Amino acid sequence: MKSRAYVSSVGLVPVGDHWEKSIVDLAVEAARGALKGSGKRKPDQIIVGNMFSAVGAKQEQLGALVASALGLAGTPAYKVEAACSSGGTAFNVAYNLVRSGAIDSALVIGVEKMRDLEPEEISGALAMAESAEYTQFVGASFAALNGLLARYYMEQLNVTRDELSAIPVIDHANAVTAAHAQFRKAITPEVVGRSAMIADPLRLFDCAPVGDGAAAALIVNDSAASGSKRRMAEVLGGRVATNEFSIFEREDMLDFKSSREAFKGAMSQAGLVQKRLSLIEIHDAFSVVGALSLEAMGFSKRGQGSKDAKAGKYARGGELPINTFGGLKARGHPVGGTGMYQIAEAYLQLTDQAGKNQVEGAEYAATQNIGGVDTTSAVHVFGRAA
Amino acid sequence: MAIQYWRRRDRYYRLVGSRCKDCGDEFFPPVYKCKGCGSEHVADKEMPRTGRIVTYTQLHEPLPGFEAQAPLYLAVVKLDNGARVLTQIVDSPDDSVRTGAKVEATVRRMRVDGESGQIIYGYKFVVRS
Amino acid sequence: MHLMQSKNRAAILGYGAYVPYYRLPTTEIARVWKGGGSGPNVEKAVAAADEDTVTMAIEAARQAMKMAGTESVGAVFVGTESKPYAVKPTSTIVAQALGQHHTLAADLEFACKAGTEAMQVITGLVGSGMIEAGIAIGMDTAQGRPGDDLEYTAASGGAAYVIGRKDRSAVALIDCSTSYVSDTGDFWRRAHERYPRHLSRFTGEPAYFHHIESSVKTLFEETGHKPSDFKYAVFHQPNPRFPVEVATRLGFTMEQIKTGLLNPMIGNTYAGSSPIGLAAVLDEARPGDKILMASFGSGAGSDAFCIEVLEGITRTRGVNPTVKSMLERSTKIDYSTYSKFRDKLQK
Repeated sequence: MKSRAYVSSVGLVPVGDHWEKSIVDLAVEAARGALKGSGKRKPDQIIVGNMFSAVGAKQEQLGALVASALGLAGTPAYKVEAACSSGGTAFNVAYNLVRSGAIDSALVIGVEKMRDLEPEEISGALAMAESAEYTQFVGASFAALNGLLARYYMEQLNVTRDELSAIPVIDHANAVTAAHAQFRKAITPEVVGRSAMIADPLRLFDCAPVGDGAAAALIVNDSAASGSKRRMAEVLGGRVATNEFSIFEREDMLDFKSSREAFKGAMSQAGLVQKRLSLIEIHDAFSVVGALSLEAMGFSKRGQGSKDAKAGKYARGGELPINTFGGLKARGHPVGGTGMYQIAEAYLQLTDQAGKNQVEGAEYAATQNIGGVDTTSAVHVFGRAA
Repeated sequence: MAIQYWRRRDRYYRLVGSRCKDCGDEFFPPVYKCKGCGSEHVADKEMPRTGRIVTYTQLHEPLPGFEAQAPLYLAVVKLDNGARVLTQIVDSPDDSVRTGAKVEATVRRMRVDGESGQIIYGYKFVVRS
Repeated sequence: MHLMQSKNRAAILGYGAYVPYYRLPTTEIARVWKGGGSGPNVEKAVAAADEDTVTMAIEAARQAMKMAGTESVGAVFVGTESKPYAVKPTSTIVAQALGQHHTLAADLEFACKAGTEAMQVITGLVGSGMIEAGIAIGMDTAQGRPGDDLEYTAASGGAAYVIGRKDRSAVALIDCSTSYVSDTGDFWRRAHERYPRHLSRFTGEPAYFHHIESSVKTLFEETGHKPSDFKYAVFHQPNPRFPVEVATRLGFTMEQIKTGLLNPMIGNTYAGSSPIGLAAVLDEARPGDKILMASFGSGAGSDAFCIEVLEGITRTRGVNPTVKSMLERSTKIDYSTYSKFRDKLQK
């Protein structure tokens, strides 16, 4: 018994250094935002997307913990983990449950507490997304893998430093007016190109920052949606895909297969062609990852992702606006939370609640959330609810 | 920590990877199933110890346990049999660490578990001009 | 008779040397601790932060195995005074890296002569027929206390020898050797101490010279050999001066010792010192050449060897990097980098 699925409300915690808030505080704050106005009706299911609460907060069993904190003990609840794509993947589980008819509604929360750790501990936690035996073992951080990828991209496809800087520049421009963004300051390509070296050739401004955050959404089916006065966005399609685990094992490191397959799957489920999309929230944890994502999903030709960004194609007002609230670089990247921020942002756009960041007349929006270096991808496609 | 790495010591010291008994493809890290032909008839095999750099980076912010080695070079190396290894590059002048450079495997300390814990050894590569 | 000669003839089947990439000019040490000048040697070889006796022994041993074309050995002995573990053998890690499991494995300690002692023991095991071949390694990452005179010379490096039954492809015959020891405390390191100590000039006359002269003279007396019988001679080299002095006293010329005299460029590699000197000689020797090697270990003792180069040496050219090439492939570092590498700043 297949059902339609809708996002009926969202909650967002501004991304940043939340010294006073624990992982549960963050999750509860986002969840309350999403539950506000839902009255006495409780979600049938709670799913928490999170990457490293065990390391970052010495806490597991987040599902039950958050449910209990929300006064919803008794509700089925668990955590879904897929590194940085934990949020998007958690949403995908909820979407499939609702769509299949198994449940009427679910509360999905993406949350990460990063700032309780020292910077090198955060690097260590993020590295856990990659092979303990062959990546962490040799001392390769997550940034290092992306540095390897960036050099390969630039050398093989003749991409310049300036071109690589284009996506971070777009992110920062979009974040200026985004209330929940971590860095609301515009930057120039020169700022990116002169920032501190992290993993040559990647510099500080090529890399998403560290931050705490949580975002939540309530996903409902027709019956739960009926009678609601809320503005809704319909979930038209969603797919999770995976690639060969480590980039160095892949025949072509520059082919983001999981993003390609997830996007293709979600779009075909939605019955949409690419050009119908009004915007896309992409997973640019590093500038090069943003460029390769755009190429994998077919918006740019091979080697053209950064070049197209530099030419204005992906700016607000361009052919296909990306990262309309700042993306991972400027809105911020609380890793397990990121996928849910993207979904909340797509919802805001399709329900005309994006304020100064509104993409006028947005009809369809997509979100692409990656774990690892394109190792897991969760793509969802949304439309205005009829 | 030590046990997790002990288990893999032949892979770390001798670059023991896999060879597909059906199609002859070779892999490092070892595989459960041949990525070429899908066969599950794979056996351990020592990899060649030389290859070329496919891409590299110099990491300025090392992972915990690698602080003393910073800044460190990491590279994807394509071995002479086609297998691809992620590795540190050591003992090589900055201008020699380049895409296409010939490299050779060596064994080095990977990390040390504090003052009293065990020393973990494994492969790193050196540029051979 | 004090001469040690195996009934079955044992020979070097392959060898490999290892000198780390980094060199610390002794002017750097003098600059930091003495306000200028230099040490007795020009530079010393310094192991990188991620190197130790295990890693260097593996490198040398791998080369030696490759040259010997040996698939398996019955003994892996590592002579060293810088074991990474106080308790846990260096030799088992080396054996694992060489893929050797059905083998004796042990670490030998006799200050600077543990490497040559390993060679004698394996010669005996091969000579008795107990094993077909074994590998003897002399390797150290020698450390001197910062500011101590030993810091000028204490260096890293060494060599490995696969010794097996003499056959047509053998590189050099280990014809015979002698050993001479006494209780002489010229240099020592107590348990749990980080750096060794030495008794000023005591290390010369009653220690180095007395023991080497005794072992070499015994060798001469019992074999009838004289210095002119040898094309090359290698003496333990704690500094550039001692080996020259002992060579002169024993009747050898500069011409005979210069090929194996590496101290000026790499320093004192302790248990690696005589073995790596021998490797430098073998890199250039020809069939029929005789080589005298005499090690010295504090505590104290000396092993003297009579080695004869065989036809097999000709097939070894180009198989492994030469000692000379390792001296060339190097880069200079300053005292601060050296401190970082060798943990000198640690209390």
